Amino acid sequence: MDKLHAKIGEHFIQVTSNPLSFATTLLEENHFLIPNHDALPHIIIHVEEGYGVAFVDYNVVVTNKQNKRYFHRADYLIETDEKYKTATIYAHDQLALKHALMNLYSSYIVSHKWGLLIHSSCVIENEKAHIFAGASGAGKSTAAKLSHPRLLLSDEATLVKVTHEEITVFDSPFRSELKSPGISKSYSLGSMHILHQALINTRVQLKQSNGFYFLLDKVFYWAHDPDETKNIVKLLESLLHNVPVYNLHFQKNNTFWELIS
Amino acid sequence: MLSYIRNDKYDAAHFDNEWVILNTDKFTVTKINEIGGFCWSLLEQSQTVDTLAQAIRKEYEVMDDTLEEDLHNFLSDLLKFNLIDHAN
Repeated sequence: MDKLHAKIGEHFIQVTSNPLSFATTLLEENHFLIPNHDALPHIIIHVEEGYGVAFVDYNVVVTNKQNKRYFHRADYLIETDEKYKTATIYAHDQLALKHALMNLYSSYIVSHKWGLLIHSSCVIENEKAHIFAGASGAGKSTAAKLSHPRLLLSDEATLVKVTHEEITVFDSPFRSELKSPGISKSYSLGSMHILHQALINTRVQLKQSNGFYFLLDKVFYWAHDPDETKNIVKLLESLLHNVPVYNLHFQKNNTFWELIS
Repeated sequence: MLSYIRNDKYDAAHFDNEWVILNTDKFTVTKINEIGGFCWSLLEQSQTVDTLAQAIRKEYEVMDDTLEEDLHNFLSDLLKFNLIDHAN
């Protein structure tokens, strides 16, 4: 069976798919496929098209059985080992496949203490990455669109590498509307913002503990393993020690960048 | 006297003068101040209201007469959120 090779963050992913085109679309349209190489893949995934029904809700049931872990949603099923290095994904359609890949990859990077996938958009300004998150409808996509022509690292799920010394953001293949042009470089994270649409622009820094409250809810993660939850706490702690979080009240135009730049 | 000890289903993050404690089983988050965090660190081993009060008075030179009552309320809250258990 033909193999696809992709790179997400710093991880090499090997993908086989039945049919091949089913897995190609998502990775190809965001420029994450790479040429064949000899490096050992971090994650090996097999994808099967055709499972369940079209999207119903975000409810994921996690079960463990004989050293295997299963993530089950109405429109996808993931069967993986407990370290998420080898997986089979059964998906109903492209949306289900995207969400299943996010589920798997997020679990991998948390389990290996590499970083976090955060529900947010992320924009590059002066060689620094800036994250925008918020409640549903708060304006993540709006802020991303209003930031044009700045480059976007994500418009839905931001890929954040966390170390004690530095926080960096990589281009995300998990896009909603604004496709990636293929950004191979990673960027140091300068700030994080909680969005609120308003009549005037204001930016106020949050206490780290309040930032923790907010971000805990924004990490793509399906609670099932206390040890992995502890990894998230430690990763968020390092993130918040390195990067400020602000409440950003913004007008629906690009002038909010005057407060950030 | 009742003694208390941390529930092992937790993890804590330390920010400035505050602690955020996450119950990894129930997925609840509790924020406590610096003295609360000091108590939390001591609760790794079994403690009573008196042993905690003694340690706080020594560390922070607190002379407050209501300290024991405050500690009782604090420990009741930690129990309610499943962050500590009775040790005896």
